[in-house]
Amino acid sequence: MATLRMQNVTKQFGRSVIAVKDFNLEVKEKEFLVLLGPSGCGKTTAMRMVAGLEEVTTGNIFIGDREVTELPPRKRNVSMIFQNYAVWPHMSVYDNIAFALKLKNIPKDEIDRIVKESASLAKIDMLLDRLPSQLSGGQQQRVAVSRAMAVDPDIFLMDEPLSNLDAKLRVSMRTELKAIHDKAGATTVFVTHDQSEAMSMADRIVIMKDGEVIQVGSPDDVYHRSRSIFVADFIGTPPTNFMDVKIKKESDGTHLVNPHLNLLLQPDMAEHFKNYNKDHLILGIRPENIIMVDQGEAALSAKCLVAEPQGSHQVVAIELDNNIIKSIAPANPTIIPGTDVHLNFKQETLRFFDPDTTLAIND
Amino acid sequence: MAKRIKKPIKLSKVISKTIFYMLIVTLAIAIILPAFFLVSLSFLSTREAYQYPLPLLPSMSTEYSLTHGNRGYLISVYDKFEEEYQTVLDTNELEKITVYMKNQLGTPYTIAEIEEQIAILESGAEDPVYFNARKNIFLNYISFFQISRDAVPALLRSFQIAGLTILVSLTIGGMAGYAFARYIFPGRDALKFSVLFVRMFPGVAIALPMVIILANMGFYDKPVGLVLVYSVGSIALTIWITASIFMGIPESLEEAAQVFGATKFQTFLRVTFPLALPGLAAAAMYAFLGAWNETVSAIILTQFNPTFPVVVYQALLGAVGNVNLAAAGGLVMAVPSLIFTFIIRRYIQQMWGGVTI
Repeated sequence: MATLRMQNVTKQFGRSVIAVKDFNLEVKEKEFLVLLGPSGCGKTTAMRMVAGLEEVTTGNIFIGDREVTELPPRKRNVSMIFQNYAVWPHMSVYDNIAFALKLKNIPKDEIDRIVKESASLAKIDMLLDRLPSQLSGGQQQRVAVSRAMAVDPDIFLMDEPLSNLDAKLRVSMRTELKAIHDKAGATTVFVTHDQSEAMSMADRIVIMKDGEVIQVGSPDDVYHRSRSIFVADFIGTPPTNFMDVKIKKESDGTHLVNPHLNLLLQPDMAEHFKNYNKDHLILGIRPENIIMVDQGEAALSAKCLVAEPQGSHQVVAIELDNNIIKSIAPANPTIIPGTDVHLNFKQETLRFFDPDTTLAIND
Repeated sequence: MAKRIKKPIKLSKVISKTIFYMLIVTLAIAIILPAFFLVSLSFLSTREAYQYPLPLLPSMSTEYSLTHGNRGYLISVYDKFEEEYQTVLDTNELEKITVYMKNQLGTPYTIAEIEEQIAILESGAEDPVYFNARKNIFLNYISFFQISRDAVPALLRSFQIAGLTILVSLTIGGMAGYAFARYIFPGRDALKFSVLFVRMFPGVAIALPMVIILANMGFYDKPVGLVLVYSVGSIALTIWITASIFMGIPESLEEAAQVFGATKFQTFLRVTFPLALPGLAAAAMYAFLGAWNETVSAIILTQFNPTFPVVVYQALLGAVGNVNLAAAGGLVMAVPSLIFTFIIRRYIQQMWGGVTI
């Protein structure tokens, strides 16, 4: 196992398309790092550069102490799980797993041992004689996993490995992949566009947009301390609610107001505006931090638009000037659409964003 | 057991099914009949082959009658259509009789055997003497190789040319097909289309320049010359077949091989090539059939070293030209391509049937 370091890596396609811009990243040993972003953000390109499948335009890549920027894929000692599994259809499961080992001229009985070991780790030891066409999608995925583990790589690369599985299998494979990672202790880079996948698996998440890194942090960090509107909107289901508000300083303290809202900030929250000299901002609040209160304590009152029961809780949506605000309320009492709801915010969880730079004011 | 419920049969369904089977049968007949005709013809004796109406099946033996004629012995042959004996020879040269029996009727008969029959006639026991001679059914095939002295070397030459054509067109066409499938470069589609242009010219139309160019290269009347000419056409076809096959192989399969330790060459050998095998087999089949069957260019571009189809063609010409001999030669020519097609077909089916990419 080893660390992975990418220094000022840039990838340009043709003359004008910059897929990855000045990418800096350090992956610690045994870390499970997730590259997260919408499609086309350059996360897959970044990973393919680590694998050597894509040439680096400028910058350097190090695995451990070795510089691998110019090395062909086979000399990097990485292994990869592809989105479509890329299991070779003309080879049996056994041969698929043994492929890399045979190329390394490892003795036959040693190959046999490694293949059986990694197959049993991925729970496919019963399928070694089968051809991939006789396997289900989930089983092919396991073949890809055990093939990747058999080579004992420095770095594990996973390119959206779960996106071709059905929803239920995806969730269970998630847990298994994480368990395998913990058992093998491999340094892993995992690419996905699914934020819940990223949240549930990652030690650290790198959020990318348009080829640039927006935020790096633990799942907790990116969720509760989103650095920009993009991150706050991208992470979480339902995502963060946003409201345009004006800052009004009055005798009793600082108020955030708009036609529907009048929120008196606690003094410690108002502290965040000390160095902020614009008179309006964008307020961000996670749905679970909006609470139902009595009319007297409400910062915000509106008619309920839709209530979506989820069993353990319900998602209550209200509409304010075409802006839909979602909040999570306890399952009881059931809220009937059309009735008035009175809401207030957990103040310590509020995020304030500069409308011009879209970056967070409070950090 | 469940009760069988009779469903009312719809008239439209009956009609459409009837028409469907009529079409199928017509098609089958259209394909089988000429082939049957060729096979049957190749076993007919010369006399049968030029009879009218032509017999549908070759006879296995011939009934003769022998009696005294004006000039010697009168030989008659039983005609199945007219249901009578027809006089064919009146001679006292016994050798002439045996040659006629062999060449015209396919019934090899020695002079001694003729003398035996004559002895019966002379003894006065029977007049005329009737006797039956068995036909050597493969005589046409034997005669074909005896009469066309070039046949065996031409057969070997045809194998050589077909083999080399496969090699050249698969090597060059396969590589070009891979490039067309994997790399995007300016003018790719135009180039891919333009390789088909070479197939648009009839061979005869460019025969003269081809003769001159090959002569200048020193390849006129040599197998290599024909290999070059045939390869041009089959390279184009190979490019189209292999390009579509390579496009069907996901790039990630090759990338996976590279990540897992293979060089580019090993990747091709262990991943791309086995997966492309059905396409390559199909391309090889077309290249083989093209080179094996081609006649027009071969007639023009060879003189003393003809290919097998040219020899078959020549069997129709000149004093020795006989349709039944040409039919025998044609069948000899069909056998290798049938065998080759069956072998290749197994690969195509095996790969496309058993493996889904």
